[in-house]
Amino acid sequence: MRISDVIVIGGGLAGLTAAITAAGRGKGVTLMTSGAGTLAIGGGTIDLLGYLENNTLVTTPRAGLRQLPPEHPYSKVGSQVVEEAVQFFLTMCQEEGFRYTGGLDHVQWLPTAIGSVKPSCLVPLTMDSTPIQAASHVVVVGFTRLKDYFPELISKGLGNIPGFQKEYEEVMIDPGFTGGRDVTTLDIARWLDTIQGQQACREQLAKQVKPGSAVIIPPVLGSRPSYVVRDALERMLACKFVEVVIMPTAVVGLRLRAMLLQRAKRLGVTIMEQAHVAYTVQEGKQVTAVVTGNIDRERSYPAKAVILATGGFFGGGIIAEHDSISEPIFNLPVTAPTEREEWGTRQLFANAAQPFAKIGIQVDDGLRPVNADGQVLLENVYIAGRNLAGYDHCLEKSGNGVALVSGYKAGLNC
Amino acid sequence: MKKHHYNPDDCTACTSCVIHCPVAQAVREFQGPKLAGPAGERFRLMEDDWETALEYCSNCKNCDISCPSRVPISTLTMKARAQYYKTHKQSFRDWLLSHGEQMGKMASLTPTLANLGMNNIVSKAILKNVGISDKAPLPAYASESFSKQFKKIKQQPTANKAVFYPGCFINYNQPQVGLDVVAVLQVNNFEVIVPEEAVCCGSPLVVNGYMDEAEANAHKNIAILQDYVRKGYPIITACTSCGLMLKQEYQELFASKGVEQVAGRIYDISEFLLELYDEGLLNTNFARQEGRYLYHAPCHLRVQGIGKPSLELVRMIPAIEVIDADAGCCGISGNYGFKAEKYDIAMAVGNNLFETIKASGIGSVLSECGTCRLQIAHGTGVKTEHPIAVVRSAYNQK
Repeated sequence: MRISDVIVIGGGLAGLTAAITAAGRGKGVTLMTSGAGTLAIGGGTIDLLGYLENNTLVTTPRAGLRQLPPEHPYSKVGSQVVEEAVQFFLTMCQEEGFRYTGGLDHVQWLPTAIGSVKPSCLVPLTMDSTPIQAASHVVVVGFTRLKDYFPELISKGLGNIPGFQKEYEEVMIDPGFTGGRDVTTLDIARWLDTIQGQQACREQLAKQVKPGSAVIIPPVLGSRPSYVVRDALERMLACKFVEVVIMPTAVVGLRLRAMLLQRAKRLGVTIMEQAHVAYTVQEGKQVTAVVTGNIDRERSYPAKAVILATGGFFGGGIIAEHDSISEPIFNLPVTAPTEREEWGTRQLFANAAQPFAKIGIQVDDGLRPVNADGQVLLENVYIAGRNLAGYDHCLEKSGNGVALVSGYKAGLNC
Repeated sequence: MKKHHYNPDDCTACTSCVIHCPVAQAVREFQGPKLAGPAGERFRLMEDDWETALEYCSNCKNCDISCPSRVPISTLTMKARAQYYKTHKQSFRDWLLSHGEQMGKMASLTPTLANLGMNNIVSKAILKNVGISDKAPLPAYASESFSKQFKKIKQQPTANKAVFYPGCFINYNQPQVGLDVVAVLQVNNFEVIVPEEAVCCGSPLVVNGYMDEAEANAHKNIAILQDYVRKGYPIITACTSCGLMLKQEYQELFASKGVEQVAGRIYDISEFLLELYDEGLLNTNFARQEGRYLYHAPCHLRVQGIGKPSLELVRMIPAIEVIDADAGCCGISGNYGFKAEKYDIAMAVGNNLFETIKASGIGSVLSECGTCRLQIAHGTGVKTEHPIAVVRSAYNQK
């Protein structure tokens, strides 16, 4: 009989981190996915903690951690685990040849495509904004036919932000694409993967970019988890590139996912795509098998432990109907305000917390699901990522941070 | 059990399918699966002739694999393509490529003549003339079909019976794969039944818009297989595209009576053997095999949600080394890469896999899909085999 030490359900940042952590401890891990997940289209930065509940900015992520309420996932796992998870991530990226920068002791301010800045914590080297702050001359690059990206918006917006008040200049690059399809950052990134693309880009930038300039560019410096494209262009033009935060599809998440899959594969994680988990088999408070319900038939996969990382409302990990709210696989209790009117605040753009954002599964300090009295419901099940209750990733800027930290903790405990 | 369903509004336009579509990566003229499938469906509700480069989709199903909302994107596209061909003429070339079964039947009457007919300059020129690439790796026909060879096998009678559905490629092009399946099942105390009356699964018909013919085949196959399912016999396939059609696409496309019961009993050969292993019934008396292999998972296996059973099975053989290439679609996607105007796209799609194979320095690639094997051999020059061939050798040498 084949039996997994642990089955991880969900292939996003939380699930992959959990699988990698557990496999690194010598566990036999099976990772089940349903679709490629939001990681591939997301921003790919690890925003750990930018704002507190009352919308005040943290001085540093580390300082912010101390001010969180006890029900917050970071408080549950403790600051020591947060620290370890950050180190774990940075080391992994370094070993996979796709280094990230940052840490708990300072806020990384990332320029965005609308000319604002947003706080983050761990970012790929291409998104470190210090070259902008250090330079006097900044070139903002756009691409013809690229949607939702306007260089003037960036220079105008950034020009009003302390630390970013520089001499800005805009330049458009024409990749010369044929065909009627919309141009995306991924199309451009794949073009820049090629030597011809890099050459063409260099030629079109050579006039405006002076040695020592900082160049702001959408996330197009290669589609793969490496800095080969950035290094080549920086060498050719003797400048520094900074990729900005954009709307999905952002290539940065695609690169991060590729790196994590590469790591998981190296550690022997078995990945099952399109394994749509329907329910689990339980004996008392122990789960003994995970059952998939694909179109042909059900299949049962025995496991000693299970990590649930299926996401929130968007990922399908929590499902809200008109008169109910549920977690579909284990049918775990989901904590939500009883009255629907209390789920949201009516002032959509008030920069205030939305109560529905904190809806999720309650866990103990070891991330095992608990009931309203705090009793553990399933002893060998661990919850990671957006399934968890008690944090507002949108307001706090903590989405990938909680995914990383809770995935790491679940991978350690299972 | 949750069914695939057809509501295009389940698509949230997240673009996951677009970024994972190998054809969209290779050719900018393709609008991508989101627009060809669910988004296009909304336009097609309003306009009869609305068409966004539908022809580019190869039905490789990487869109379905990547969709977080379980929208059957490729099937929406195939249905739209069939609808389009209700009012537009299909080419002789598409007819030819869709009817491999008829070609196979003709060829099995005169195989030498058929191969002589395909693999020489004159007929390559004729094929090119109708729109089949003269560079494409067209398969050769076997001198004797699998079903004919199967009849000559003297099987050891056993109480356990299993039905084997060979499909056209194994039947007419590479019967050895079928013979290996039978041998391996016999070693594991199963007597094999091959239903002679079964017809092409319909996969090549669906991709070229011959939906009515595919449906007729589906009804026929379901009726035949259902009789065996009622007796409690498992249905085994060794071609991942046939398996996918029988267990999934029939349900997505056609309302055929008994289709669910049959789907519930379709097994990939390696999946079947691993289930025997789990029950302690697999003969694991394998001889050491010192070989090094790369394994390529066909897209039509990946979308089935059963993992990579052949990889697990072959790795049970002592001393063997098998590395998962994990390098994406090979590009051929059934008969897509045979088409003159698609040949270059198919080769571009397969490039990452070809480069991975070449860089590995390994001269043997295992893959379940017959046309994947043709394309891999064509793109790299390496030797290719069905994984079951390796399993059979490991038994034989013991």
